[in-house]
Amino acid sequence: MSTETAEVKETKASEALFSKRRKKLISDPLIDDNPITIQVLGICSALAVTTQMQPTLVMAISVIFVMVMANLTISLLRNTIPSRVRIIVQLAVVASLVTLVNEILKAFAYDMYKELSVFVGLIITNCIVMGRLEAFALGNKPYDSVLDGFGSALGYSWIILAVAFFRELLGSGSVFGVEIYDGISSLFGGEFSLATNGLMVSPVGAFIILGLIIWVQRTKTGYVEH
Amino acid sequence: MQQSNGYIITFSVILTVVLGLLLSGTSQLLGPIQKKAVELDTKKQILGAVLESSKLNAMKSEEILEFYDNRISSKVVDYEGNEIEKDDDGNEIVAENVDVAKNYKLAPEKRKYPVFIFHQEGNEDDAEAIIVQLYGAGLWDEIWGFLALDTDLNTIEGVTFGHKGETPGLGARITEGSVQNRYQGKKIFDDSGEFQSVEMQKGEGKDYSGDDHKVDGLSGATITANGVNAMLENYLKAYKSYFEKRQKS
Amino acid sequence: MELFSLAIRSIFIDNMVFAYFLGMCSFLAVSKKVSTALGLGAAVIFVLTVTVPVNWLLNEFVLKEGALTWASASLAGVDLTFLRFIMFIAIIAAMVQLVEMVVEKFAPALYGALGIFLPLIAVNCAILGGSLFMAQRDYTLAESAVYGFGSGTGFFLAIVALAAIREKLKYSNVPNGLKGLGITMLLTGLMGIAFMSFMGIDL
Repeated sequence: MSTETAEVKETKASEALFSKRRKKLISDPLIDDNPITIQVLGICSALAVTTQMQPTLVMAISVIFVMVMANLTISLLRNTIPSRVRIIVQLAVVASLVTLVNEILKAFAYDMYKELSVFVGLIITNCIVMGRLEAFALGNKPYDSVLDGFGSALGYSWIILAVAFFRELLGSGSVFGVEIYDGISSLFGGEFSLATNGLMVSPVGAFIILGLIIWVQRTKTGYVEH
Repeated sequence: MQQSNGYIITFSVILTVVLGLLLSGTSQLLGPIQKKAVELDTKKQILGAVLESSKLNAMKSEEILEFYDNRISSKVVDYEGNEIEKDDDGNEIVAENVDVAKNYKLAPEKRKYPVFIFHQEGNEDDAEAIIVQLYGAGLWDEIWGFLALDTDLNTIEGVTFGHKGETPGLGARITEGSVQNRYQGKKIFDDSGEFQSVEMQKGEGKDYSGDDHKVDGLSGATITANGVNAMLENYLKAYKSYFEKRQKS
Repeated sequence: MELFSLAIRSIFIDNMVFAYFLGMCSFLAVSKKVSTALGLGAAVIFVLTVTVPVNWLLNEFVLKEGALTWASASLAGVDLTFLRFIMFIAIIAAMVQLVEMVVEKFAPALYGALGIFLPLIAVNCAILGGSLFMAQRDYTLAESAVYGFGSGTGFFLAIVALAAIREKLKYSNVPNGLKGLGITMLLTGLMGIAFMSFMGIDL
């Protein structure tokens, strides 16, 4: 990304807190190696909540929390986990973290808890989480793993937030519950009203929006799948 | 690397114990807060039938709970309109805890019907409105609601609806105040005392203020509207014997 | 009749893929050829039909509030719902493992066809989703068996249909950026529109 500053001093003894390599851990998954659009992982669970921005944001924060914590835990345990049972150990850790998120939501944000219903639980089977644990956290140091988890979760979050933005705007005429369409029509003296597109709030809308985002994004990065 | 079975088992046991402790600890810690959140949510919905939503939203959660305790008394009745206090196992029934979704699966005659009486502060006999619970199916998923009747047990004071997955902007509009207000002042019995319910009509934009049993519809959400109609009809019919009993006494 | 309508609902109307986006990962990854799609689809039906009722038993007799009353009256107040996620996923992983072993022993031919897909399935959202929906909607045992079978069949239909289209798609001239995932998402959207037409069925 363009915000990257040139930080070249890399010594083996002590690596800078945000060295170039570490920055790449976060920035790569955002565009070039995005978990959704390039790696085709984790589309499952979260799309279902993208009809509106607010639940999507809560979902995104939950995913970030679960991924960072899971990556950290697995990375700390990486030398003690018996390889034969590592999948089930990963599942147990992720499931516990997700349960934590679910319990906290139920206690402090009951409305959100009701709205997200089973989809919080489905973070467990989100392929990104397991994928990063298996591919990165098992073989890397805790701090790097945290950065990797954060980066991947962020790459995932901005895509589902983008999908939610378009779906809520076009489908319900609002963003974060703020009525945009009504605002626009009252700007013009209420002479006309903008029609919302019902297809956008149905699941179909998510597929099409995501397909288009992938198209735009891959055209920009020049990535071609064969 | 390949570890011994003993190591794997020890590792698994330790992991299980640690995770188990962590989770049960959290659940113990957050349990009371969660119970309160659920309670607040239910009470807010019940009060929604008699209070304007803007007023309700302005209240703090403690205020809502206090208001509820002061102004609402509740009981549970059966299909015949008789009050029931204990369930089949002899446990006390609390109206706020009656699981309407579970009851919905039973035959109407076997369901338990909670009744919430909105009364003057400190005087339970001085009722202002009778609130009953509603439940049914919309287009996609369940819909539910509370309906408040005037003390004449005929005129609707207010309704509140909820839904799980109706289409935003179409069926989901049943949660909007402007839609719910259309029910105010409508009647559930006709002049001769026959049960009539209140029906949401097809299409939107007509004036039904002269008709006691019709309200304006939701354009583009006929199936949700039909679900609301069926829900009102089913549940008001089920509460009918209770209304009649109460009327007599 | 009730069960029949539940089956129809879960196959066509509440389709795992088109209505809830569940199982998308494997849906996208394993839909390049019809033959592999058939294998994965069949494995999903199989596993869902087994795990949803098993998880129902677990939920009913262990996890629900007051579910442990059968063991001892003093346990009536115990609420273990907070263990739901971890127990469900453990049961699913264990069942998949068990099914794999049983199939390998008694039906080697079937194992040859399903074998490689079974381990994949433990982390398929559709499987866990099936169990979570079952718990949330308070199904009975019979309903949960029908629901498991129905939603598995829904997934089967979706993935086989998509694979058939993608086989033909190889001969089409798709813009570079849309190749692969992009066009597949758009296709899934169009298939979703087709499935929406089942909504009108009055059951």
